[in-house]
Amino acid sequence: MAEEVVMLTGNHSVSEAVKRVKPDVIAAYPITPQTAIIEYLSRVVDSGELDSHFIRVESEHSALAAVAGASWAGARTFTATSSQGLLYMGEWVFWTGYARLPVVMAVVNRCLAPGWSIWVDLQDSMAFRDAGWIQIYNKNNQEVFDTTIQSYKIAESKDIALPVMPCLDGFVLSHTSSKVILSDPEEVYNFVGDYSDPIIEIDTGKPFAYGSIVMPDKYNKDRKDLMEAMERAKAKIKAVNKEFSETFGRSYGNGLIEKYGDDDADLTIVGIGTLADETQQAIDMLTSEGLKVNSVRVRTFRPFPTEDIIDIAKKNHKLLVIDRSVSFGHEGHLQMEIESVLKRNNIDTPVIGKVMGLGGEDVPYTRIAKAARENL
Amino acid sequence: MPTTIKDLMNNPKEALLKGHFACAGCGSALAFRHAIGAIADKAVVVIPACCTSVYQGFGRGVAFDVPTINVAFASSDAVAAGIKHAMDKKGKEAHVIAWAGDGGTADIGIATLIGACDRQDNILHIMYSNNVYSNTGGQRSGDTPIGARTTTTPFGNKTQRKMVPFIMMANNASYVATASVAYIPDLVDKVKKALSYDGFKFIEIDASCPVAWKSDSADSIHVARLAVETGVWPLFEWDSKSNKAVLSKRGSKYRNKENRKPIEEWLNIQGRFKGMSEEEIKNLYADVDRQWTFLEKFLE
Repeated sequence: MAEEVVMLTGNHSVSEAVKRVKPDVIAAYPITPQTAIIEYLSRVVDSGELDSHFIRVESEHSALAAVAGASWAGARTFTATSSQGLLYMGEWVFWTGYARLPVVMAVVNRCLAPGWSIWVDLQDSMAFRDAGWIQIYNKNNQEVFDTTIQSYKIAESKDIALPVMPCLDGFVLSHTSSKVILSDPEEVYNFVGDYSDPIIEIDTGKPFAYGSIVMPDKYNKDRKDLMEAMERAKAKIKAVNKEFSETFGRSYGNGLIEKYGDDDADLTIVGIGTLADETQQAIDMLTSEGLKVNSVRVRTFRPFPTEDIIDIAKKNHKLLVIDRSVSFGHEGHLQMEIESVLKRNNIDTPVIGKVMGLGGEDVPYTRIAKAARENL
Repeated sequence: MPTTIKDLMNNPKEALLKGHFACAGCGSALAFRHAIGAIADKAVVVIPACCTSVYQGFGRGVAFDVPTINVAFASSDAVAAGIKHAMDKKGKEAHVIAWAGDGGTADIGIATLIGACDRQDNILHIMYSNNVYSNTGGQRSGDTPIGARTTTTPFGNKTQRKMVPFIMMANNASYVATASVAYIPDLVDKVKKALSYDGFKFIEIDASCPVAWKSDSADSIHVARLAVETGVWPLFEWDSKSNKAVLSKRGSKYRNKENRKPIEEWLNIQGRFKGMSEEEIKNLYADVDRQWTFLEKFLE
């Protein structure tokens, strides 16, 4: 089977990537808008097309607990969730991150209740930015496919050993078909490699205890190690992005951020997820009007691309940060991080924040352009 | 051949080593030593928040000589299932055991427990019940008997015991048994027998807790034996294939009420029942009758 060019939803793009990477154990629980991912995977497992164990758990809490267990036992794993499901597994999101298990979990971003709504914002995954997971936000279905593959290569590196959360906007990507190049299954598998030499495994002949009581000195050492692994992950994500580009001819900026337009802009619009992709259209329109604007898409929210943000802030004159999630009582998450990076590095480039698109509110590029004009 | 006391000295290896932190007279530690010790060469143990997550010791000093994974409270069976699936996929043999207290089984863990049961995940759940949240200082759990004083039922628990073995029978576990720290060879036999079944297996052990039960630590075996002899704790096995329950040899005569000692004998050596009213005692008798009435439906 060679490369295929198809029209595919974001959910289906995740599944096609996972099928090629061949996890040993998948455990999942349905939730909109993620469900189609696991429906497809359960079908290919039951049909024998994919040689994996699929555990149909009774809750998201158990979904992540089961894949964590499998990961401890040295298996390659996968799960997926959204919104309330992610919150319900919250205890295990932290547990998996702190245990540094190389689990890959697709998060199809959906806002949180009440009231009931199934549409996108990033409040769900942003709530877990402190859980010790690498978070990669995608702009289109091709990137969803590619990032899912890359996630395994990053997570399972012994010098990283961190879970990875590829995030995709609910409905905007998950349920919308667009052109996707599905790379050759064998080439994809070879790119990721097998997982026969796992980060951790369980053997009955080799007793060990994991997660027993720990004193503060050891506890702090473990968390410091996690911090350092996150720092190392920046170089790893860049390297994987580069290697992926060399193998498949597709790349996403430097892996951590993707820039659009020329430096020395009067205004740089910084965004995340599909809103950052929409922003590029706004940049085209504003540039055609003779305005000096450019944009940056933050691809990895964790680890945060601190050095890149410093570079951008130094090379441009003002930042307009568009968030699709917010910390109530403070401000948008992306804005918060950017302001903290600039303050810490004594950079006085002004930062303006806008929160847009909560609960699936439509944000056309004209609205982004309007916000830009108001701040130029 | 049934296990004998002498056999207990010939385990593949000691599962519980010196240096554990269990209290004197801890039923859970005793049960762990023998139940896991008997299968220690093949065991992988998953432990949610409970006394066992503490008394195993810490750091490099963990006193368990089997692979031990400590996990979040409501998830031992899900983790055990994940481990078992992974080991099967990798072609590794192991008995994966979720070892949990009554809180982690009957209360916060019950959805996970029944989930693993209805999927027939090939694991064994061992519930050691000290009838209380011992690890947090002795609060009422769903498995606290009527009349017991706990830190959250200071004037006596009013509610009936949640009989998890019956719940597991109704959910078609492949094998269900009750056991007691007073009858260790019987416990070991049941663990070994459980592991001969495919699918989801469940054993509940009545495990004395001198701290929460306010009993003398020297009486841990005595008090557990009285629970059987008074009929408070029926010892039985059941499997889904036969849908029949069999009383264990040690406990069979207590099917007949006339052979049972008065429940007061069990109550009187435990400070947790001090000051029970006559009505509470009557209610406790009724709850014990309720359990036997249910069990009788499955006995020959």
